[in-house]
Amino acid sequence: MRAYLNTINNPWRVFDEVMGDFPFDLFDTALRTRARRYPRVNVWESEDGLAVQAEVAGVEPDKLDVAVDANILTIKGEREQADGSRAEFQRSFNLPFELENDKIKATIKNGLLTVKIPRKPIEKRKIAIEKL
Amino acid sequence: MSLTKKSDQQDVQKVDRVELTPASRVVECENAYTLTVELPGVSEKEIELTLENRVLSITAENTLEVFKDYTLVLHELPEARYRAAFDLPDHVDTAGIKAATKNGLLVLTLPKREEVKPRRIAVKAG
Repeated sequence: MRAYLNTINNPWRVFDEVMGDFPFDLFDTALRTRARRYPRVNVWESEDGLAVQAEVAGVEPDKLDVAVDANILTIKGEREQADGSRAEFQRSFNLPFELENDKIKATIKNGLLTVKIPRKPIEKRKIAIEKL
Repeated sequence: MSLTKKSDQQDVQKVDRVELTPASRVVECENAYTLTVELPGVSEKEIELTLENRVLSITAENTLEVFKDYTLVLHELPEARYRAAFDLPDHVDTAGIKAATKNGLLVLTLPKREEVKPRRIAVKAG
């Protein structure tokens, strides 16, 4: 129900909720909650495209990967955890529109990742109406 | 004498910052401790480090971008004021503390005093 409500208010949450609710609660919930919320992000949307900022302190820029597949944006990489061990992370966002996957602009500064991706233009096609 | 109207003061835009304790870890080596503090989105100019009575205090503020003509649709990053304080043990040589930033981490090297460092004592034949 929570996931459903979030769908109405905020389409961006959907992917996270679906990933988190079932059936992984068998694991340590606190641990999973932390894991699936990494990295934390701000997502901005406009008619032109999408802008994302993500907190990735301590992640080496070459250990970070941003990818777009149609309408799914994925940020993944490897980071050092509090205990010093290395762990992989991944977070995906299901977007309400498609993006240009070959026009991703990503920069990283002070452990803050900034990504800008333009929207894929919607192909308009006129459909001829035949007379019967 | 001048009076400042309330409305004048409101012109100064104030960001309500969330007070946060940053994630941190300490690793002990033979000659020093390494204290690592996660400060994502903080430039080194925005980090204030003070040492008073063997208490090392860190205050820092992050900078998030506001994208013009964009609408914020998922908001998880707060405008934060990070605060942390560490009691330094007596055997830390406070004069030798070094600080550096890398990838959004503040890395502090806290050297141990000479007398507590492990050292070899040569044994001479009598």
